[in-house]
Amino acid sequence: MRDLYQRLAISPEANEQDIKRAVASCHHSVLRQDAESVFAVAERRDVYDTLHGTVSDIGRLRARLGLTHGAHWQGDVANDFSMPPDQAVSRHDELIGRVEHAVSLYNRWRRFRGSWLLITIFATGASVGLALGLTLCLWLMAM
Amino acid sequence: MSIARFSPFELLLLKSRSQVDTATLLLLAWVLVHRQHISEGQRRRRLTDVSAHFRHGHELTPVMSIAHSQDLQAIQLAAEVLRKECSKERSLSIIHQAISVATDDGALSIANHYILRFLADLLNVAPVTLATLFQELTGAPLSSPEDPSRDAYWQIHDPDYHARKARDAAAAEQKARQEQARAEQHQRQKNEREQHKQQKQQDKQRRQDEARRTREQEQQRKREQTHQQEQEKQRQREQSEREQRSREHYSRQHEHHQQHSRNHYSQQQRPSPPPDRTTRALSVLGLRPGASRIEVRHAYRRMAQLHHPDRFYTKSDQQIALASARFQRIKNAYDYLMKTY
Repeated sequence: MRDLYQRLAISPEANEQDIKRAVASCHHSVLRQDAESVFAVAERRDVYDTLHGTVSDIGRLRARLGLTHGAHWQGDVANDFSMPPDQAVSRHDELIGRVEHAVSLYNRWRRFRGSWLLITIFATGASVGLALGLTLCLWLMAM
Repeated sequence: MSIARFSPFELLLLKSRSQVDTATLLLLAWVLVHRQHISEGQRRRRLTDVSAHFRHGHELTPVMSIAHSQDLQAIQLAAEVLRKECSKERSLSIIHQAISVATDDGALSIANHYILRFLADLLNVAPVTLATLFQELTGAPLSSPEDPSRDAYWQIHDPDYHARKARDAAAAEQKARQEQARAEQHQRQKNEREQHKQQKQQDKQRRQDEARRTREQEQQRKREQTHQQEQEKQRQREQSEREQRSREHYSRQHEHHQQHSRNHYSQQQRPSPPPDRTTRALSVLGLRPGASRIEVRHAYRRMAQLHHPDRFYTKSDQQIALASARFQRIKNAYDYLMKTY
């Protein structure tokens, strides 16, 4: 399995004219014949694109997990689909960090809930009473 | 400070009773998604079969939908969990399950070739071990994946296209030949007409000629006629021969195409399992050949209870490993029998 797009220097989303032009200007005769036979028929290109997507996903996974030199990753595939590691973040560490964060938030909320609840209830009660008194005063003065 | 939301797979993992089992499930579902020619229901059933002894404790539907969406981050997370928390025996059994899930009656798809190899690299399984496992499970050696980026692949897998092309070319050739034949016939008719004219002229001359030359002329005309007939015959023979040849050519091409497609078909068929495999599977379950399906099921339940690795929980690692190997063998035999009986 080779990455024909990479070898022809086109993007996988290229339209048919671009592909035809790239294939016609390719100097390697074997590669040109292969590319012609893959891109000549729409169904073949679909099949190839699906597999291309899967294999590039695997290449990306391998790059992130540090498996680009595995014993099972050799030959054309390894040459064409090994990607440079993008962001070296371990998903598992990230998950643990996120869980820790969520737990600390939850704990803080639990810890402060009792006292804060009292304070907020008192504050809302007081403010409602004040507002009522004020409006009553204003109304009486207007009378 | 805002906190990013947990993805569906992260939530599953947090809720799961066994993270390794959940991660394994996702990777097996990923393999199943890339298997061709099976329906969604079959995929789900197969995943349920495989996960019969898992301790994840959640639904399988979200796992399947995550696998369908090809969520790369979820798969990466699952792979990291597996790599962190898998023992050697467990990783072998996961590879085992992945192979059986990927190939239990059809051929291994190209995408699954790469996925299996990725899993093997992830779980530190050497190529030799993978090849041996594959050979044991499927009876066929693990070949290198086919390459759809090459012309040769399409020559084999899309013979219809090439046959169609060849047929079109043959039809064009035949048409050209027919046109040529028509032109020849036209020419011949013209020749005949000219000859007719000449004959008429000769007739006139003859009428004007003296009676003494009539006999000679008669003879000459006869000779001419026989000659013409011979020519005609020869021409007909030539034409029929040509037609015969073109028909032969077409039928040969047709035959070639048929042979080609037959080859293709026979390549698609898997080699049938050895006939004694059923007997061996039965003997693994402690049964004689000819046991019924119900007996097989009862024997499997008994054996599974006897050899389940959880029974050896308090024993040494070595004993647990042996028990899980035994259990795996029993389960394989049972699976095989359920499939073939």
